[in-house]
Amino acid sequence: MSDVLLSVENFSGAFRAADGRLTPVLHDVNFALRTGAITAVVGETGSGKSLTALSILGIQPATFVRTSGRILFEGRDLLTLGATALRAIRGRRISMVFQDARAAMNPVFTVGQQLAEVFRLQHGGSRDAAMAKAIDALRRVSIPEPERRARQYPHEFSGGMAQRAMIAMAALICRPTLLILDEPTTGLDVTIQSEIMELIVELGRSAGLTACLITHDLGVVAETCDAVVVMNAGRVVETGTAEAIFTAPQHAYTRKLLAASLLVPA
Amino acid sequence: MRASDYVVLRTQALRKTYRVAGGRNLVAVDGVDIALHAGETLAIVGESGSGKSTVARCVLRLVEPTGGDIEVNGRSIMQLGSVSLASLYREVQMVFQDPTASLNPRMTVRQVLHEPLRLHLAMERSQREKRALALVDMVGLPAAHLDRYPHELSGGQRQRVGIARAIAAEPNVVILDEPTSSLDVSVRGQILDLLLRLQAELKLAYLFISHDLQVVRHVADRVAVMYLGGIVETGPAEAVFARPTHPYTRALLSAAPVAQWGVKRVRLRLIGEISSPIDPPDACRLVGRCPLEQPSCSRKRPPLLAVDAEHSAACPVVLGHEREAIPGAEALSRRSGGEGGATGARL
Ligand SMILES: Nc1ncnc2c1ncn2[C@@H]1O[C@H](COP(=O)(O)OP(=O)(O)OP(=O)(O)O)[C@@H](O)[C@H]1O
Ligand SMILES: Nc1ncnc2c1ncn2[C@@H]1O[C@H](COP(=O)(O)OP(=O)(O)O)[C@@H](O)[C@H]1O
Ligand code: SF4
Ligand SMILES: [Mg+2]
Ligand SMILES: [Mg+2]
Repeated sequence: MSDVLLSVENFSGAFRAADGRLTPVLHDVNFALRTGAITAVVGETGSGKSLTALSILGIQPATFVRTSGRILFEGRDLLTLGATALRAIRGRRISMVFQDARAAMNPVFTVGQQLAEVFRLQHGGSRDAAMAKAIDALRRVSIPEPERRARQYPHEFSGGMAQRAMIAMAALICRPTLLILDEPTTGLDVTIQSEIMELIVELGRSAGLTACLITHDLGVVAETCDAVVVMNAGRVVETGTAEAIFTAPQHAYTRKLLAASLLVPA
Repeated sequence: MRASDYVVLRTQALRKTYRVAGGRNLVAVDGVDIALHAGETLAIVGESGSGKSTVARCVLRLVEPTGGDIEVNGRSIMQLGSVSLASLYREVQMVFQDPTASLNPRMTVRQVLHEPLRLHLAMERSQREKRALALVDMVGLPAAHLDRYPHELSGGQRQRVGIARAIAAEPNVVILDEPTSSLDVSVRGQILDLLLRLQAELKLAYLFISHDLQVVRHVADRVAVMYLGGIVETGPAEAVFARPTHPYTRALLSAAPVAQWGVKRVRLRLIGEISSPIDPPDACRLVGRCPLEQPSCSRKRPPLLAVDAEHSAACPVVLGHEREAIPGAEALSRRSGGEGGATGARL
């Protein structure tokens, strides 16, 4: 299947306690991300969404161990790559947006410095040229007065603005092939959430990105995603096109999640 | 439907300001009038930082209001000393957003529930024990959970404990500040069902703070929409959802995505982000963000104007008080009065 950019195959994992005992948390996870599509991974707290995403990037907690399976990116198993090969992929080919952007940024550097630094790490060039790229990226995610904003620190940004800056970094500075977003709008105001989602969709379409959106908000999924992976208790219970998942859900858990998400039908 | 005309909780011109750096004033709540009737649910919705929680904290006297009046059962609570505060807490209780943070990790569920019974009702031990058993049963927890600590409970179970604690002393008003926003959707449904059942059984009035419009639509009898410290629209829930009138309400309702295939929303978009609550000018709070803005909007702050009998909104432009208004506003205004509200009514 040439149009699959990344596939998670029979992936299982567990946490290793101090006494060496393993507590399994991911059970035989299987799904694929189609090139150019926005795929949602949905499920309730603790269903294993974040652990799966972190494993793709190789930044899972130290106590998490894979017990079986593989994660293929352009045909190569990410889980067997050495540190150098992985570093070349992480950030550059696959980048990630985290839930709390302000917490994910370094508080002692300005937002502009952080974007510029990442740009230089990945593409080289002078400091000035990198800062110009940073300001340009902030402008493209509709941050007003990007020159002034670039000189501010993360704590001077609102939650919504910090999330835009984070998206500028992950999507425009890193220019990845695959963008993973873990609950990128949770905790933001409704009006800001929908603007962030529109930005993600627009960047996805215009930059030809493949995106994986981790969320528990099925409203966002219905409006923006092409495909859906439903997880429950560490297992994938259903995958399908967004239309199929919403109009003809097969699994009882999917139906339950849909019903709970729609207290009042439109 | 409104359960009663009796007002259990009223705020009048409620105001709370904080002194911030440079001797300037942050206006957190700016002249808020609410009337909560016995047995009803009044929802407060609005942007983060709009002052919703501050209203709640003023009512419970957790912060000192800067101005205005608060009445509970017709009696002003502004001058209460510490002794009579206890009587306030018999009538008004609160459920917090984060049940983990609001429960003492070193207290068992039994201890959590005994506390208000001892403090507010001066019950003796055997009575308290009986009542605690009844309370866990009412909120759907097994009696064995009385001996558990918060960390031995799930998020939903903890919120049930928070609710049991709030209703322990049989208040007639419960303030719920985002009671389901830290919960998963399936748990959210269970907690809402519980709250609705308790409201019917105990004739509780709820002041229900939430940014989850699905939830508000599901539970609220009336809605007040707050923006930058003030109420910009208020009315019966059906009216506000069917005919959102203030541009902020329209932006808010039309921004919420629906977990349903093929729903198309007509968006009303605001420009930029919420403005500063520090020394706000005497102008409409939406100036600078509003797509319908007129020069007159900056001259003074518009009051709440009638949309119809019980529904009002603080926008003279949409309501046609500014006839020189741009055509777009006219169109919106007409639609807002019409069938079902084409703009942003869908959730
Ligand atoms: N102790 C304080 N000192 C200074 N400013 C405060 C204080 N408490 C609240 N504020 C400010 O008052 C305003 C209203 O805050 P409040 O917590 O009531 O908002 P909210 O509507 O509950 O928001 P959210 O939806 O984020 O919970 C905000 O601008 C906030 O920053
Ligand atoms: N650092 C950790 N140590 C132990 N268990 C963890 C850790 N992180 C996550 N878990 C457990 O792994 C499971 C999946 O977690 P996660 O991937 O974060 O879920 P989600 O993102 O879907 O909410 C949960 O049972 C969670 O409690
Ligand atoms: S009064 Fe003016 S600025 Fe305020 S909401 Fe109405 S049109 Fe917009
Ligand atoms: Mg997670
Ligand atoms: Mg609040």
